[in-house]
Amino acid sequence: MAGMLPRVFVSESIPASDVWRNELVFRKGCRYRVEAASGGGKSSMCAYIYGGRIDYEGSLYFNDLNTSGLTIKEWQEIRRRHLAYLPQELSLFPELTALENITLKNSLTGHVGLERIEEWLHELGIDSRRDYPVGCMSIGQQQRVGIIRALCQPFDFILLDEPVSHLDEVNNRKAAAMIVAEAERQGAGIISTSVGNHLLIDESITLKL
Amino acid sequence: MKLISSLLRKNTSPARIAGFILSNFIGLLIIIGGLQFYSDARSLWKSEESFVNNDILVVNKRVSGANAWDKGASVFTPGEIEDLQKQPWVREVGDFTSADYRIWASVGEAGGRGMSTMLFFESVPNRFVDGVASGWRFDERTGEVPIIISKDYLALYNFGFAGSAGLPQMSENILSGIPLRLTLTSDDGRRMRDFRGRVVGLSDRLNTILVPESFMEWSNRELGSGESHGPSRLIVDVSSPGDVAIKDYLEANGLEVAGDKSSSQAAYLLKIVAGIVIAIGGVITILSFFILLLSMSLLMEKNRDKLHSLLMLGVPVRDVERPYAVMVVVSTLVAYLLSAVCGVVMRGWYVEPLERLGADVGSPWFGLIVGLFLSLVMTVVNVSAVHKRIVKAWR
Repeated sequence: MAGMLPRVFVSESIPASDVWRNELVFRKGCRYRVEAASGGGKSSMCAYIYGGRIDYEGSLYFNDLNTSGLTIKEWQEIRRRHLAYLPQELSLFPELTALENITLKNSLTGHVGLERIEEWLHELGIDSRRDYPVGCMSIGQQQRVGIIRALCQPFDFILLDEPVSHLDEVNNRKAAAMIVAEAERQGAGIISTSVGNHLLIDESITLKL
Repeated sequence: MKLISSLLRKNTSPARIAGFILSNFIGLLIIIGGLQFYSDARSLWKSEESFVNNDILVVNKRVSGANAWDKGASVFTPGEIEDLQKQPWVREVGDFTSADYRIWASVGEAGGRGMSTMLFFESVPNRFVDGVASGWRFDERTGEVPIIISKDYLALYNFGFAGSAGLPQMSENILSGIPLRLTLTSDDGRRMRDFRGRVVGLSDRLNTILVPESFMEWSNRELGSGESHGPSRLIVDVSSPGDVAIKDYLEANGLEVAGDKSSSQAAYLLKIVAGIVIAIGGVITILSFFILLLSMSLLMEKNRDKLHSLLMLGVPVRDVERPYAVMVVVSTLVAYLLSAVCGVVMRGWYVEPLERLGADVGSPWFGLIVGLFLSLVMTVVNVSAVHKRIVKAWR
């Protein structure tokens, strides 16, 4: 990230930040925790990196590739194979079941088998909700479905926007272990954000927004 | 894939799609039916003679009491011909050339019982006479002159003269089998030539006795007085006979058209009526196209969040647009097939009565192909509109 700043902040004076108006490099294999108060632009940062929004100053590079020149087709390929993303609002389909939501993503690359998905559901304690429409689940349960879905693809980085805001510590630890295991298996980096309830990952680099 | 299309088809309104299919069906049916009927019925008013183009008019000046004895008054001046040539509906103008000598034609034995009469000859440029190209030539060696006469003359003879004179009626075939003896005499009576003549055709549209241009030039040279008059009749090839502009021009310039004009006016009327019907069909088709465009827009607007979420997951754009494209293609295809089948069935109802009227019915393909073409255009535009909306929902 080179001198990136959300346009809404351009005319405002913002406190010193590790991210905005800075040269910042995320490296594969590293773990990052982005901390900020509400309204600090965490979700914006995730959306910028994921190509969902472009309302920023400055530039974003993947290795040496400036992302401003990417086509929709290239972005879609990146979203399938290089960047996993769990948005804060989760973007699950409420009328589909937990398993359907997950397999919809998994079917794009066929990254993991059904047994693996069932294992993950079991680990996070929502295997009994497998065939429930997601719309009928609690936010905490939906968050766990979202985390599993984000893991169902090959990735270089996984972006998690407040992934555990509605999880207790036990489930937080289980989710963190799962994410770390999968990221290590793929040699990928983890970028998670929070306003207070952090994803409990050891050895992470903390960045202040 | 099934999950994606079932997600994206949520909120589909069957009533709207049915509304599109129905209106598109009606529009296309009117277009296909109109085009088919036009191409089938057109032949009713087409003249059947093969040697003169249907778009030919023979024009002369109106003879009035004042100019009855003034030969020059009925002659077209070069300026008048040029003016006519400049009219937008004129493709080509040709002169009628008259014979500059006397003609005596007789049937039967020389000197014996038979019939004889004085005649006149005219000729028009060869490019206006087609179809009998091989026979339409004067051969100096055989001395046989091919002749085209007006059908009216045969009718006058058969129904007016033959009965009262106790002579047999003649069919076209018999007439063309009768050898004519022609005696051509110069005005001063000094030069005289004999030829054999043969009627090679009868014309509805050329109200004259026509001989080949080459014969006319040759005989005028041989027997004529050498004086040349301007043409008193013109042959005009027009782009759309029956056009009101033609009638207006002729009236304004005191000109008359010889021969039967009602058929060209009826053909013109058919063209106008078919044009109106097809235009109505076109309007309905365009409206139906907008119904589909709007209902697809509405559906995609309702599913916009889902579209966005799917694209955020990295689902390829073509997979997201496929359910909508399939909807467009299938509903347009259904409407087209329905209208094509109904169009062909409807054609079946009128083809027989039309044939009994003497029409040489065309093929249904033209209407069907036009309908298919319209459907293709609508599909392409709608599918590209779907694509545009998805690209818009991407960010």
